[in-house]
Amino acid sequence: MLTRRTLLKAGLASLAVPAVAACNNGAAARADGEIIYWLWDSAQLPMYTECAKVFHEQNPQYSVKIEQYGWNDYWSKLVTGFISDTAPDVFTGHSSKYPLFADKGQVLPIDDYVARDNVDLGIYQKGLADRWIGADGKRYGLPKDWDTEVYFYNSAFTEAAGISAEQLNSMTWNPKDGGTFEQIVRRLTVDSKDRRGDQPGFDKDNIKVYGLGYADAGGGDGQTSWSWYAAINGWKYSEGEPWGTKFFYGDPKFTETIGWWRGLITKGYMPTYAQAKSGVDVTTSFGAGKYAITPNGSWMLGTYGTLKQVKSKLARLPIGPVGKRMSMMNGLADTIWAGTTQRDASWAWVKFLGSQTAQDIVAKAGVVFPAVAASMPAAKAAFAKSGWDVTPFLEPVEAGDVFPYPANPNAADVTAVMTPAMESVMSFEAEPSSLAKANDDVNQILSANT
Amino acid sequence: MRKLGVGRTVAWVMLFILLIVTLFPFYWMLRTAFSDNTQLPGHPNSLLPVETTLGAFKRVLGLSTIEEAQAQGGSGAAVNFWLYLRNSLVVATITTVCQVFFSAMAAYAFARLRWPGRDKVFALFLAALMVPPIFTTLPNFVLIKNLGLLNSFAGIILPGAFMTPFAIFFLRQFFLGINRELEEAAMIDGAGHRRIFFGLIIPMSAAPIATLAILTYINSWNDYFWPLLVGQQENVRVLTVALGVFRSQTPQGGPDWAGLMAATLIAALPMIILFLAFAKRITNSIGFSGIK
Amino acid sequence: MIFIAPATLGFVVFYIWPTLRGAYLSFTEYSLLEAPKFNGLANYERMVQDSFFWNALGVTVEYVVINIGVQTVLAVGIAMLMYRLTKSITVRAIVLAPYLVANVVVALVWYWMLDVQVGVVNTFLGWVGIDPVAFFGDSHWAIPTVAGINVWRHMGYTALLVFAGLQTIPSYVYEAAEVDGSTEWKTFWRITLPLLRPVLVMVLVVTMIGSFQIFDTVAVTTQGGPINATRVIYYYIYERAFTRFDFGYASAMALVLFAILAVVSLLQLRLLRAKESDLA
Repeated sequence: MLTRRTLLKAGLASLAVPAVAACNNGAAARADGEIIYWLWDSAQLPMYTECAKVFHEQNPQYSVKIEQYGWNDYWSKLVTGFISDTAPDVFTGHSSKYPLFADKGQVLPIDDYVARDNVDLGIYQKGLADRWIGADGKRYGLPKDWDTEVYFYNSAFTEAAGISAEQLNSMTWNPKDGGTFEQIVRRLTVDSKDRRGDQPGFDKDNIKVYGLGYADAGGGDGQTSWSWYAAINGWKYSEGEPWGTKFFYGDPKFTETIGWWRGLITKGYMPTYAQAKSGVDVTTSFGAGKYAITPNGSWMLGTYGTLKQVKSKLARLPIGPVGKRMSMMNGLADTIWAGTTQRDASWAWVKFLGSQTAQDIVAKAGVVFPAVAASMPAAKAAFAKSGWDVTPFLEPVEAGDVFPYPANPNAADVTAVMTPAMESVMSFEAEPSSLAKANDDVNQILSANT
Repeated sequence: MRKLGVGRTVAWVMLFILLIVTLFPFYWMLRTAFSDNTQLPGHPNSLLPVETTLGAFKRVLGLSTIEEAQAQGGSGAAVNFWLYLRNSLVVATITTVCQVFFSAMAAYAFARLRWPGRDKVFALFLAALMVPPIFTTLPNFVLIKNLGLLNSFAGIILPGAFMTPFAIFFLRQFFLGINRELEEAAMIDGAGHRRIFFGLIIPMSAAPIATLAILTYINSWNDYFWPLLVGQQENVRVLTVALGVFRSQTPQGGPDWAGLMAATLIAALPMIILFLAFAKRITNSIGFSGIK
Repeated sequence: MIFIAPATLGFVVFYIWPTLRGAYLSFTEYSLLEAPKFNGLANYERMVQDSFFWNALGVTVEYVVINIGVQTVLAVGIAMLMYRLTKSITVRAIVLAPYLVANVVVALVWYWMLDVQVGVVNTFLGWVGIDPVAFFGDSHWAIPTVAGINVWRHMGYTALLVFAGLQTIPSYVYEAAEVDGSTEWKTFWRITLPLLRPVLVMVLVVTMIGSFQIFDTVAVTTQGGPINATRVIYYYIYERAFTRFDFGYASAMALVLFAILAVVSLLQLRLLRAKESDLA
């Protein structure tokens, strides 16, 4: 028979083994000069692995261990990492997230390093480097890529509808009747009896192919859903871009834009909000031939490329009442965790990723657009090789007709208000005018926290 | 019983429908896992796998290259299955053994030993049954962090290792029902509480203890929230958490459904095997736990 | 006393201490990254005015009512079917099978099957002439959908508990009813159900406590949307604590949830104790 003592001993032994094993792994036991780097996009893993190799060759005293987690886990793991002192030394930052981290003292300002090493901030695409100066005036990152939005369209559908590439690339828009953009969307919508949106007898309640798809209601930024319509209607997110102190979601220019946008649902050209949000996302539905046009960001080129059942092409965003096309321009940068024990190695890696050497590697992979302007031709060539003419993405940047992502240290709180507010409007449970109330809530959050 | 009338036929039909509803999701997991992910959206109606392939299983287990995986609509991420399986086994086994053993000891004390304040302490333990886990989860997380046990097995296991109110309650009810005469006979023979507990109570309670152990094992195996918080690092990540991470690693915009279902099946496999091996015992014992 | 020592240690360290600490933190402003600052009742005052909190409570109650209601009715039905029709272990094993699969996995599988465009369930609905239902996207469907998924996972387990209760009812009761010429339907309502009550109340207490803590399914599928329709209290607490660095406020909400659970459970237990069994 087992005695209690032997049982206890066995129990203690079994407890001790994994506990000891666990001690060997943690951040403390890391070799000097080895840093941990996180990113969230699995498509970018190969090229950054390549960067890490080159970096190690150039700096033998440093090495980089890359870990990748998907978008949602990435941020919750990062937060848990901050709390538990297990965050990565360097991680990919996003405009919607880093201001809060900076506010809480979790990311390292790099001004001193930039000054010490004379980093030339002029090599980046115009405006990009400034995005990483926080509300406190300190710099928190060096840009590494950028993105804009365009329309991805199903070329088989547009040909069947008799719409030429020229027409698609010279669309106009206004908040009253949607301009030629809405005419095209209307023509591309097909009901279950193969009647088009502009043909007699069109049945808007039984749609086979929607002219326009959308991923969600856009929350507070509308990056891939409504941002450019609002912008070409002459609307701005906030007073003082990008560090908004007062938001304008109640502005008539904004609410009429949203009113027009959701009107497409009433007309049958866009799926209801419930359909758009239920289950799989917009690219899968596009790939299944349910949508003729879907707006999306340049980081999605790879995903659209893997859709085997449809041939997707790119079209420019429309020209609006302000007389030009506009796109949001956002980008990523690498930021250093304030709690890192490897500051110098971390800075060396950030500096390397912001250099043309690294950006050329990124460019050649043909996944995202590099932040260094001189690396762009290589990226263009790489995208051309996979069959993409990426000009529509580049034009607004070259013309300077871009606007930044609405950054904010209270982004999570603003999102918590704006996401449900926009969802209510898009599912017709509230009128666009209700956004004025949401705007008040947002501004109250901002004033309470400053 | 009664003759096979209309009523019984209807009842059989209902039971049959019920079994279909229960089993269909399992079939659908299989069908999707054996499909080619890039072809899935185009064939939502196909009841058979679309372009049957083992690709999903291969990329989940890391048997295909990143390029192959991405061409098939995957992310190139793999589930380090054997490592996570080991972690799940370690966590579930240690938790179960410790929890059941310590709870049994406490239950014995509550059921058989006489000491001042016993019933009041028991009532306090019972009240803990109502404390929502999230309420203890938040401070426990801070405690585990302060103890420096984040990302260690000890951190995952400790909170459940000593007791749960349910386990003590459950076993106490059974110990109360054990015949006192045997125990008194043993006492006359000069046996102490220790010998009675190990020599008499435990052997006589083999059935409910096994029941509790199985239930604890299932729950511990399936636990997600706590290991997600304290055991995020590779070396201690359990299967349920790994599956969550694998899900979020699928390419932005185009989830790798086939890979996901393959991973799901793989994660559920150990439980299914355990279940097949102990089907009779589990079903009987769960019935048992319902009676006080 | 050595018998109770380990359990007491675990109880004090992982139940009593965190409960007290949580209670303290609920009176502080605590961002996790800085030391907690005492702020009195501010968190509770905020809670009263926080429409998201009230919405979360409402949504949770809606979930609990649907989940417990449907699950209990189905479980009793299944238990009766099994009791009257078959003692087959295979049938019982199949009924229990969903319980063995983790919550997260169950949620993922149903998420895939219930998709509005490419989900197989909507294909089936199409075959019988029903328009596709946006199970997760429609704010009216979202909570019933989440509740339904959890019913699918738990109904077999609950049915087996009820089944065990059925087996405790002595057969002479049924024989007497048969002699009196009672129909099966009448027997169920007049004899089976009343005699089953003690087991049912116990099942209700345990499942209700679990049901209030719905989290996994929401985290994996809707993440609170659409329009807060599935932002259940547990998910809201998690969001506040871990994505918005609002740990103090999250603790306050957790304490309120504890109070609610305690009241509900005590009410149920009183109900249970009131009449142990109608058979006596």
